[in-house]
Amino acid sequence: MARARFAEILRLLAAGDVEFVVVGMAAGILHGAPVTTVDVDVVHCRSPENVARLLRVLAELDAVYRHDPRRLRPDESHLVGPGHQLLTTTLGDLDCLGTIDQDRGYEHLLGLSVEMKLAGGLTVRVLSLPALIEAKTRSGRPKDLAALPVLRATLEETKQRP
Amino acid sequence: MVTPPPSDDLLPAAPDIDASGVDRAQIRAMLELTPEERLRQVEDFVEAALEIRELNGARPVR
Repeated sequence: MARARFAEILRLLAAGDVEFVVVGMAAGILHGAPVTTVDVDVVHCRSPENVARLLRVLAELDAVYRHDPRRLRPDESHLVGPGHQLLTTTLGDLDCLGTIDQDRGYEHLLGLSVEMKLAGGLTVRVLSLPALIEAKTRSGRPKDLAALPVLRATLEETKQRP
Repeated sequence: MVTPPPSDDLLPAAPDIDASGVDRAQIRAMLELTPEERLRQVEDFVEAALEIRELNGARPVR
């Protein structure tokens, strides 16, 4: 596994004008939840133009499918669909998700996201904490349910801040 | 001989753990950081964990 440089992955995606929303536990961490993760999950816009931009960044990151011994590279046909592309890159593991949470894609999640600044003037869209909590609640998977107490407490603490 | 209890100023503060077992102080510490600083803290943890795994090899979990 490559050394994790999750912030740098997000920076490269943003610098490459890729339209995406950060979801999963990376979103929770960005909102301040004291949890950890070993990958970054993003839901990308599946328009041909955006997939082309995403592919350029993935090439820069030398992205390959992490469970495929052939070091298969993602291509347009993979990224325009609703499926989950589980990749490993020179900066860590990156999951490019066509949809999450009952087939919700980028356009839907965009309205449930907030903008966060990165160093250098770049910004990324991150699924809001309430939306992340709702998605994990709906999923019902044990790993998602296990994260809920910390995410809910983080939301409460956030609301109490001036 | 009975050891006297520590004076109040030597007692650690009670942990701020909520009913779900979540440490609220950890959350407040994370909220003091910028989003990017939060992510970098996780990177540091993952890197340290990987280093320890490499040092110890891929041993089965007992």
